[in-house]
Amino acid sequence: MTLLSARGLTAGYGPLKVLEGIDLDVNEGEIVVMLGANGAGKTTTMRAISGVIARHGEITFGGHNIQKVGPDAIVRAGIVQVPQGRGTFPELSVEDNMRAGAYVRRDGSGAVQADIAKWFELFPRLAERRTQRAGSLSGGEQQMLAIARALMSRPRLLLCDEPSMGLAPLITQELFQIIERLNRDEGLSVLLVEQNANLAMHMASRVYLLETGRIVASGTAAEIGADDTIRKAYLGF
Amino acid sequence: MALFLQRLVDGLSEGSIYALLALGLVIIYRGTGHLNFAQGEMALFSTYAVYQFGEWGVPIGLAVLMGMAVGFVLGAGTEVVLVRPISRKSPFAVFIVTIGLFQFLNWLDGALWGGQQLPSSAMGSKQGKFPSLFPNNPTDYFNVFGAAIKWQSFWMLVLVLVIGGGLYVMFNYTKLGLAMRAVASNSESSKLVGIRTGTVLMVSWGIAAAVGALGGVVYAGLTTNVNQSLMFSVFIYAAAAATLGGFDSPGGAVVGGLAIGVIQNLVAGYADEWVGQQMKVGVAFLVILAVLLLRPAGLFGTSKVERV
Amino acid sequence: MSLPIHLRSGGLPSWAIRVGATLSVAGLLLWIPTHGSDSLIDTCTTATMLMAAAMSLNLLLGFTGQISLGHSAFFGIGVYTTAIGVTRWGWSPFVTLPVAFAVAFVVGVLVSLPALRIKGVYLALVTLALGLVFPAFVKWPKIEWLTNGSRGLDKTGFKFNKANPTYELFGWNPWGNLRGQNVKPFYFWVGVSIVALVYLVCRGIVKSRMGRSLVAIRDNSTAAAVMGVNLAVTKGIVFGLSAAMCALPGSLSAIRTGTVTPDSALLTVAGSITFLVIMVVGGSGSLWGPVLGAVVYQFIIERTSGWSDPNRIPGAVRPLFSWSDVAPGSGIFALTLILLMFFAPFGIVGLWHKAVATVVTVVPKPAGTASVVHQETAPPES
Repeated sequence: MTLLSARGLTAGYGPLKVLEGIDLDVNEGEIVVMLGANGAGKTTTMRAISGVIARHGEITFGGHNIQKVGPDAIVRAGIVQVPQGRGTFPELSVEDNMRAGAYVRRDGSGAVQADIAKWFELFPRLAERRTQRAGSLSGGEQQMLAIARALMSRPRLLLCDEPSMGLAPLITQELFQIIERLNRDEGLSVLLVEQNANLAMHMASRVYLLETGRIVASGTAAEIGADDTIRKAYLGF
Repeated sequence: MALFLQRLVDGLSEGSIYALLALGLVIIYRGTGHLNFAQGEMALFSTYAVYQFGEWGVPIGLAVLMGMAVGFVLGAGTEVVLVRPISRKSPFAVFIVTIGLFQFLNWLDGALWGGQQLPSSAMGSKQGKFPSLFPNNPTDYFNVFGAAIKWQSFWMLVLVLVIGGGLYVMFNYTKLGLAMRAVASNSESSKLVGIRTGTVLMVSWGIAAAVGALGGVVYAGLTTNVNQSLMFSVFIYAAAAATLGGFDSPGGAVVGGLAIGVIQNLVAGYADEWVGQQMKVGVAFLVILAVLLLRPAGLFGTSKVERV
Repeated sequence: MSLPIHLRSGGLPSWAIRVGATLSVAGLLLWIPTHGSDSLIDTCTTATMLMAAAMSLNLLLGFTGQISLGHSAFFGIGVYTTAIGVTRWGWSPFVTLPVAFAVAFVVGVLVSLPALRIKGVYLALVTLALGLVFPAFVKWPKIEWLTNGSRGLDKTGFKFNKANPTYELFGWNPWGNLRGQNVKPFYFWVGVSIVALVYLVCRGIVKSRMGRSLVAIRDNSTAAAVMGVNLAVTKGIVFGLSAAMCALPGSLSAIRTGTVTPDSALLTVAGSITFLVIMVVGGSGSLWGPVLGAVVYQFIIERTSGWSDPNRIPGAVRPLFSWSDVAPGSGIFALTLILLMFFAPFGIVGLWHKAVATVVTVVPKPAGTASVVHQETAPPES
């Protein structure tokens, strides 16, 4: 079943148009990977879906039109983004970062506290540093925190914008394993933006290739990986 | 000893006024990174409003609450109508707008309440007896170790501690406080977790102006007269307090305010010949200068990459 | 004929515009003291003082990006240098002008030292405190022997021979007796001379190599440092010059009014804000902006000064202002300032350039340097 669906999505910054009409679907339970070079519009796509920049076109989520609603309502509907470069609140403690992630929830602090405990189990290193300022964490820990914070809103769709950026390969692998686990165990749908195609491809249900604001190819991971021309031109392996 | 204690308490009570205005400066700075030069004039406008409510027969306690409400609306309105649209252009434009607001409110105070005693430059003064929130008759004092402590001083100190404590609880243990801290820390990420940053900033400005209004009312009660230049020097003392405490630290604002008040009174008291009442403002100037040169983040602030 | 008309820079029409503009400014300058009423001359003299002060602030802000809310202190240094020199030591008022310039320059350079390390609005805060300190300092009991404290000083201007007023400089009378027994045109000429001097200094700095390095500092300190612009020295000199040039109109103020008090408006923070407002409304970062700003400011203040009496408000705007018995000048100007930030951040000059561009565009010479200068001042009406 289609969870997120975008048709003719355009967005940009002021007079500068970055996305020139994108069609995109994420089905329930999928991990969808979006690949593309620098400046292709990957981050803009994410920000457009999250509603933090002006966008046009048709976007529905779980059958509801979300084109006109603001970023807070989008989080409440169940889409949450882990922004590029982690985007933690550096001056806040790890725990307060998590609480801020639960900002849209209305089910009381007991339930929020229970969720914090649950995600601390998945990210034990965060539990050790719960009272530290987020800014004092290492890059990998901050990325974990950013994901944990996103999970605190109880999302149905997680948008991850280049989580591997600036991380050591081992940590990236660990991170991707966690994302796969969340997808498998929690039924979380994921839209993942990556430059690091090698790693992302093998966990993807489907792949989109983005180039200068347009989708130039899409298909299952196997199809895209099998197409020699695409592989050579865009994936580089 | 008694004299020292006297000066200490006088300093603390004056400092509590600076602390209230400094709190307002800090709340706004944390949220938006702007220094609100109109903070003092916003407080003065609300103070005049309290005076007006008093003239209409509203009891002083209620009038003060209404004045704080006026301050809240003024502050919140300023954020929505002026600061938010202009901050997309440049920090300099925001600075100029706060200066424009400073001048406009100062003129408006004169136009609404000033009467004909004002010269055309609108920087004159109207002397009006202002109702005091706390008892301030010459007989309202109690003795501690031989020092006569005015009840007014005592209550002012209590007030700033209550307000400071209340804001501390709000910042650290409420959802609104969490949102305010999150927006101050990272505005874009705040949007991504579903915080309405616009509303948070609007409320921040409102709270800042309401707290400042309280400071204005208390100060007006202390000096028992309200005039248009009432807040010029108070603003600088408050800014010195915020600088000393750290522009992003509410606790620092309270400590800084009290410290500035005490330093001033002790220096002016013990070095009367050299400093006296005239050069008290020089103390604030030196504190600002020294802190900005030696420790720009203040005593309790966190140093950030410069914005301007 | 289609708009905009394209004119080639250096071509005949563009020169005609320049010559016409220069002639009309010169004509106006001659007309005011010879044919204008006393009150017009007074108004224009005040305007020249505000011009010079705002231009000095503009040099600092427009070309280095440093914000000062303490220029009233430098203005005050001018006021008090002249007052003290004339009353305590019996100097000629003319001699006090360069002395005031030098004193303010030194103080300005001293202030620039901490200003190197303090950025943006924090510098505004420090200088605001400086502006508040100055009147307090003048009233300080320790220097009362010099400044006479809050009572101020008297007879700080020229001692005129009532029967035969001449304005001599070491026995030479350079301005001539333009208006018989009246001394007002003389002050006007001093004001105009100061503005001309300040203008030439600003223009000289802006068009020089130093000026280009100043703009580099404003836009990017780090880059300027890498390019070898000596930040400390350049900023120090500019700060000093800015302070010094702001002291000149201060001196004129003491000479003109003959009395000084520490609480007169332009010596307090209100003065600093007035200079800033004039500069921004006129157009910060442009040479002619403060000139226009001062003319418009003084015009509005004069026009509305009588409006405390509702019967003197013109009928069309009476409902807007009759509720108050305070002159609305500074309120109008504050609102103008806020609105300009929204619609025309470069002030009147910015609006002027935009308006002119729709009628005439000056096309730069192919190989030469572009010069788009529209130097016309709006004539002050009285």
